[in-house]
Amino acid sequence: MKEEITRVLEAARSEIKKADSMHDLMQLKSRYIGKKSILNGLMQKLGTLSKEERPAFGKILNEAKVQISELLLQRDQEIKNLKYKKTLKKEALDLTMPSRKREIGTLHPITKVWQEIEDIFISMGFEVAEGPDIEDEFHNFDALNTPQDHPARDLSDTFYIEDDVLLRTQTSTVQVRVMENHKPPIKIISQGSCYRNENDASHSPMFHQVEALVVDEGVTFADLRDIMNIFVKKMFGEKIESRFRPHFFPFTEPSAEMDIICVKCLGRGCNLCKGSGWLELGGAGMVDPNVFSMLGIDSEKYTGYAFGLGIDRIAMLKYKIPDMRLLFENDIRFLKQFK
Amino acid sequence: MKISYKWLSQYIDIDLSPEELQTRMTFAGLEVEGVEKLGEDLNQYIVAEIKKCKTHPGSDHLSICQVNNGSDTKQVICGAPNCAAGQKVAFAPVGVSISDFKIKKVKLRGEESFGMICSEKELGISDNHDGILVLPDDAPIGEKLGTYLQQDDIAFEVEITPNRPDLLGIFGVARDVAAVLNVPLIIPEISIKETGESIAKHLALQNDASELCTRYTARMIKGVTIKESPAWLKQRLISVGLRPINNIVDITNFVMTEFGHPLHAFDHKLIKDKTIIVRRAKKGEKFPALDEQTYTLEKDDLVIADAVKPIALAGIIGGENSHITKETKDIVIEAANFLYSSIRKTAGRLKISTDSSYRFERDIADETAELVSQRACQLILELAGGKLLEGKLDSYPNPVENRIVGLRPSRVKKLLTITVSDKQIINYLEPLGLKLSRRETDLLKFEIPPYRKDLVREIDLIEEIIRLHGYNSVESFLKPQKIMDKTTFYTSRKIKDILVNNGFSEVINWNFGDPSDLNKLNIPTDDERRNNAELKNPLGSSFSIMHSMLIPQLLKNALFNIHHGQKNLKLFEQTKVFTRHNEKLATEKIHLSALITGNLHPVYWKEDQYPADFYDIKGIVEEILNALDISNPVFKVSSEKFYQPGLAVDVFLKERMVGSFGKIDSKIASKYDIEQPLFILDIKLQDIFELQKSVKPVFHDIPKFPPVLRDLSFVISKKYSYNEILNSIYSINKKLITKIELFDEYIGKNIKDGYRSLTFSLVFSSDTKTLTDDNINNILQKVIEKLKNDFNIEMR
Repeated sequence: MKEEITRVLEAARSEIKKADSMHDLMQLKSRYIGKKSILNGLMQKLGTLSKEERPAFGKILNEAKVQISELLLQRDQEIKNLKYKKTLKKEALDLTMPSRKREIGTLHPITKVWQEIEDIFISMGFEVAEGPDIEDEFHNFDALNTPQDHPARDLSDTFYIEDDVLLRTQTSTVQVRVMENHKPPIKIISQGSCYRNENDASHSPMFHQVEALVVDEGVTFADLRDIMNIFVKKMFGEKIESRFRPHFFPFTEPSAEMDIICVKCLGRGCNLCKGSGWLELGGAGMVDPNVFSMLGIDSEKYTGYAFGLGIDRIAMLKYKIPDMRLLFENDIRFLKQFK
Repeated sequence: MKISYKWLSQYIDIDLSPEELQTRMTFAGLEVEGVEKLGEDLNQYIVAEIKKCKTHPGSDHLSICQVNNGSDTKQVICGAPNCAAGQKVAFAPVGVSISDFKIKKVKLRGEESFGMICSEKELGISDNHDGILVLPDDAPIGEKLGTYLQQDDIAFEVEITPNRPDLLGIFGVARDVAAVLNVPLIIPEISIKETGESIAKHLALQNDASELCTRYTARMIKGVTIKESPAWLKQRLISVGLRPINNIVDITNFVMTEFGHPLHAFDHKLIKDKTIIVRRAKKGEKFPALDEQTYTLEKDDLVIADAVKPIALAGIIGGENSHITKETKDIVIEAANFLYSSIRKTAGRLKISTDSSYRFERDIADETAELVSQRACQLILELAGGKLLEGKLDSYPNPVENRIVGLRPSRVKKLLTITVSDKQIINYLEPLGLKLSRRETDLLKFEIPPYRKDLVREIDLIEEIIRLHGYNSVESFLKPQKIMDKTTFYTSRKIKDILVNNGFSEVINWNFGDPSDLNKLNIPTDDERRNNAELKNPLGSSFSIMHSMLIPQLLKNALFNIHHGQKNLKLFEQTKVFTRHNEKLATEKIHLSALITGNLHPVYWKEDQYPADFYDIKGIVEEILNALDISNPVFKVSSEKFYQPGLAVDVFLKERMVGSFGKIDSKIASKYDIEQPLFILDIKLQDIFELQKSVKPVFHDIPKFPPVLRDLSFVISKKYSYNEILNSIYSINKKLITKIELFDEYIGKNIKDGYRSLTFSLVFSSDTKTLTDDNINNILQKVIEKLKNDFNIEMR
């Protein structure tokens, strides 16, 4: 009987070694240690042995069973490992092959700057106001303290639809419309297209401006300086300083032009700033009392400031776009650069 | 903390309804978190009289009572030993619920019973269950018990912020409320009469831990009678959720709740060697507490001990070995104060939270110890008799001096912007217990009462002023301007983002237009877009109007890029278009046009390239409409003349044409020198904004039950549209068929001419149950029958 057990054990060992699937293992398990297995058959025969022999054979039989279970388990692990290694081999890739690209579009650089400006000012409590592109003379000139015979009204500078209907030459028109319809406190920005009858390398007949207007009790020139400083640093970076130069605009008093440190050379002087170290960004000033009184706002009680900036110019400075014409050509190779 | 409305009214005349009072308290910083109506439970019981009472013939411990409840007489079987004829009792009629138990008509050993005569425990007013509650003879029959016992009250659950320990008692709350309502505070009269020997003869005090016990006072009363508290006292305690025990314990609880400073009473007889020692516990020292637990102490714990053992865990819980019992004759009243951090540490470590520890943990004042000691003695003499010995024991090594805090009225105005006169400031602060001690130019100096440890700096006083003045009485200057149309603003941005995310790049063109483009695009002469704003002095004829549509410019942009070798394009422009007829200025409306041409996706080596088609542009339109929350746009064959006939759709919303999309007619494209297919969408955004304000997303429940998918494949004549098929399927069961996805169309071999084979995936799901095969097969069968009927389909 002992020999029989040894024989079974040897047979099992060699068969298990050869098994190479889970299915094979299951079958072997059933054949050798299952209910109807050879070993179980031998177990039945134990009864025929003498009392003295029984424990020793029982022990050997059990050990054989344990051994076979272990062999099965071991082979099971081996098969799983083999399978895993096969998978690795099968799934191996050339990781340098090109990826699947999802095409994402782009916003126009002007829109990107436009939205950034809106967000900066909205975060500082401004609201966004809108006005028409096609305006009347009152909102574009009269209300902004520009006299009838002012050279700015020349046909050569302004696009006219009718004698007193024109394409706005600046977004300051929206200031007027807001002050007509709302009582102070007013704190708005407005952006949009403006038009001037000129078309050359540095002038586009349509361009974009942003305009801000703040009217309240106690608004000062210092507030204007502050807001410009904050804006410039948020837009161009912490290193960019700004300065005001006295200037003339009919609708502000005092009026100023604003410069920022050249974004290219940081003030050292370069071709962009023509060696001066400064770039002109826009105009600003305290709202002229005449504008207030024309719109029925008490200029003793209220003060205010306004400024206007060229968005196209900001976009060009920010993205280092060398030529204004690129902005309106809509070359996809240009547009795609502004991710 | 619970505050009883009636108890509070003892100190102030309140002319407000509980609801109004609740609001005033909340807005003065005493946030009322909950309101409980007391006595409501008791009002289901009725004061009744036992007219007759005889022993139940079938039982020696039951009685048969005839009970008069004011309207009629009911028979009640009662098991209480103390019931007798002539008693006024609390009667629970049939239908009343006592906790979970509902009183029904029952038969007890052959006798019917219509209700129950209740014990105090059953009524929930004490633990007494020895017999029924017997009411005084003058109790009015038929009255609701709650009303009779004056338990009608309102308990406010008030959140006391940690900076205000002075509000841990109802009197403190009353002081604040009085200041808020600007009414006088009624201060209870406290006076005690000392007689006989000095306390020193009977008790000694030794404070060995003055760093942890900042004050300890003891008074002693001899010969008290321990008994039940009178009704008014029990009511007060019940109204704030405390359980009456006996007169002495009840008084200490009452005074604690009144002034927020806890006290403790010891049985003098049980104090070994008649000495109270305040000391740190020994490491490992055992302390048997009143809660029947024995605690093992550490040396940072503070105990009140006698010569041999701890008799109280200071400020937290009394000892089992020294508390007041029925036999107690002589008592010691402790009123003390302990370092709050030490109490917090010990209570936290031992996980004991008592009304006492809750208060001591919040840094109450040393000063109030004397007040509550006197108040407790006064009430004990009144309600328990006995003699108060002369003097008190008092360890108070570092008496606190009253603090002076200065306030600049100019600063008040600067910080709060409110204008209040000096007199008003004084009027606000004095009712809180502050006293004006000195006045200088723009400076008011106030003496701060000891119980307001939180008032240290000028800013603390300013906070009190605004709290009493009212936070919401401060005028606000900034008003919303309502200039900006936020919905339109952000929706416009959202639409741009959708296009960008779908691969479109934004173009910006000059807003000028060329009138000849309108001819090229076959725009009819009477079309709105022909009403152009014309420039008097244009740059040239091709820029002579303000554009009324964006498509011509997009076509030119496409041509420009194709010329530069860029054949796969997705472009859009979103800007104003202009028309003008009989108006002074013009009509300016936000418009969106987009264009796709060439291959839809970038080259990818694993997949074939395929050109963009009608369904691609349709998908973008639907995505935009979806983002605008337009769920049911109507699509009709387009009437625009620049699209290829049959390959374009007009979009209608509320019967207005709001846009179109489709394939540009090749004849038109060739006018722009473009040979490759172009697909366009053209949407009147402004009109859509006007017709439908974008709706915010609203959460819908996530389906709890898994969806079930079934495929359906059939051959159908081409004369039926997809939409017709879809509607036909949905019509069977719109609720359970939640989605229909077309995943294949096949035309060709084995399908006869003029027919196509369609394969759908139907998604079934229910909000209320897991759908069974039977449910679904049933619906599916109906769907198939309907399709056969409507379109004569052939299943595959």
